[in-house]
Amino acid sequence: MKKFINDPTHFVSEMMEGLILANPDTLRWKKDSNIIYRADAPRHDKVSVIQGSGSGHEPAHIMAVGKGMLDAAVPGNVFAAPPMDYIVECFKLMNTPKGILHLVNNYQGDRMGWDMAREMAEAEGIRTELVVIDDDVSVENSTYTVGRRGVAGNFFVIKAVGAAAEQGEDLDELVRIGKKVNGVVRSMGMALTGCTPPAKGEPIFTLADDEIEMGVGIHGEPGRRRDKIKPADQLVEEMFEAVAGDLPFSKGDRIGLMINGLGGTPISELYLLYRKAALLCRDRDLTVVQNYVGEYCTALEMAGYSITLIRLDDELETLMKAPAEIPIRTF
Amino acid sequence: MNTLTLADIETIVDTMVSVALAHEDEFSQLDGLCGDGDFGASLATGFDAIRTQWAELDRTSISAFALKCSTIITSKTGGCSGPLWGTAFMRFGIGARGRESLSLADLVALSQAAQAGMMARGGAKLGDKTLLDAMDAATTAIQQTADADGSIPRAFAAAARASAAATETAKSWTARRGRQSFTGNRSRDTYDPGMVAVTKMLEAVSTCFPIST
Repeated sequence: MKKFINDPTHFVSEMMEGLILANPDTLRWKKDSNIIYRADAPRHDKVSVIQGSGSGHEPAHIMAVGKGMLDAAVPGNVFAAPPMDYIVECFKLMNTPKGILHLVNNYQGDRMGWDMAREMAEAEGIRTELVVIDDDVSVENSTYTVGRRGVAGNFFVIKAVGAAAEQGEDLDELVRIGKKVNGVVRSMGMALTGCTPPAKGEPIFTLADDEIEMGVGIHGEPGRRRDKIKPADQLVEEMFEAVAGDLPFSKGDRIGLMINGLGGTPISELYLLYRKAALLCRDRDLTVVQNYVGEYCTALEMAGYSITLIRLDDELETLMKAPAEIPIRTF
Repeated sequence: MNTLTLADIETIVDTMVSVALAHEDEFSQLDGLCGDGDFGASLATGFDAIRTQWAELDRTSISAFALKCSTIITSKTGGCSGPLWGTAFMRFGIGARGRESLSLADLVALSQAAQAGMMARGGAKLGDKTLLDAMDAATTAIQQTADADGSIPRAFAAAARASAAATETAKSWTARRGRQSFTGNRSRDTYDPGMVAVTKMLEAVSTCFPIST
């Protein structure tokens, strides 16, 4: 293992400390519970929107905290759901009279931990609602899931409910919007390499020089098949068909298109991939209203990418274009 | 003796901790016959964390005590046992709010609440050959004692016998939930480790509350 680390057990906390030192005016850190939150949260005139999952997917979710996005994020260790008591602390810290919306990607560990924490919080009189994200079309069930996995589509759910929360919408309305987004967003990823969690010290899986994992999960879970590397356009075509055919997206749709790097793919290659995806959209008469090229949901240093399509209507388009400010980007 | 106080609940939890630690290897070996062999170690880790924090546990009420135990078990127990056992303690704690002592009828209601929570969390039903089958048999036995003389020691003794009998009966079943179910018919003629753990805990608890003659 060759990584920029001091001590594997300090990986997550030192990353959070760096994030706080870089954003002293906008972010706060509750160190003993792994909570990164907005300096102005909780605000009593809005619903708090929170999320937490394993670390290693940055910028998801601690770097998606900011105005117009998450109010707080509570990560666990690398690829491990946050402990329940941390989540309960996050509920208490972010409690507002308008309640809390928590977003959960569909993994068993996350689902159970958040469900339990939510029961505990509600027993203390905190009002919470839940939206589950399961946008990955690669496989129907997976190593850590019953049902589809939640991956980069998560960004669009955060963006939409974050914007609506900022406008003062109530909890029920945010649930409606969150579920609506999850219903129209689809993703698929693939890997050129595995990745190495610092505490594990060795790769979760390895691929030969000429091998790819098509449909890989963001924790290195197996996808549809292991295959030989092909020209980039062919890889994009296969994944685009799988994603676009799933909803399905149809002629005339207005869409958002995301090419998301999994952590070890240069931005140059991401734009090369975006080129083909955008051309396929044009061929299919899908109008790309919003595009996102970069890292939104990663798997440590895995080389690979995912493609996400979201079907927009007037409501969602407005929410996607609403201002937002997080450490990695201003919208 | 017809009611349980916080001190009695502490005794019960302390006894459960002792059983989880004393039988760690046995539970793991049972799990290893059909599962992944980590049940004993997972359970021991979670309950050991309760013992480590024993002196500082919240003792303002039965409810607060149970909820604190729930948090520790959920956070420290590995695999799916954490959320499942943690849910049992949590439902017990939430149901016990405002109670300074518990009657057998309360205990039955709280045990049923715990089982309902575990079913919701893990998706198991009665008859799937999980610890729920042992808990259900024990709860029915407690209910019967509650309807008779309401004696706590008699109820625990009856619960331990009922749980042991259910564990024996279920031995010939095929597991339909949890790791053991992956092995299909191989799970026949093996004891379910969760049911064995519940039985051992009830037997140990029963000896803490001897029937006075």
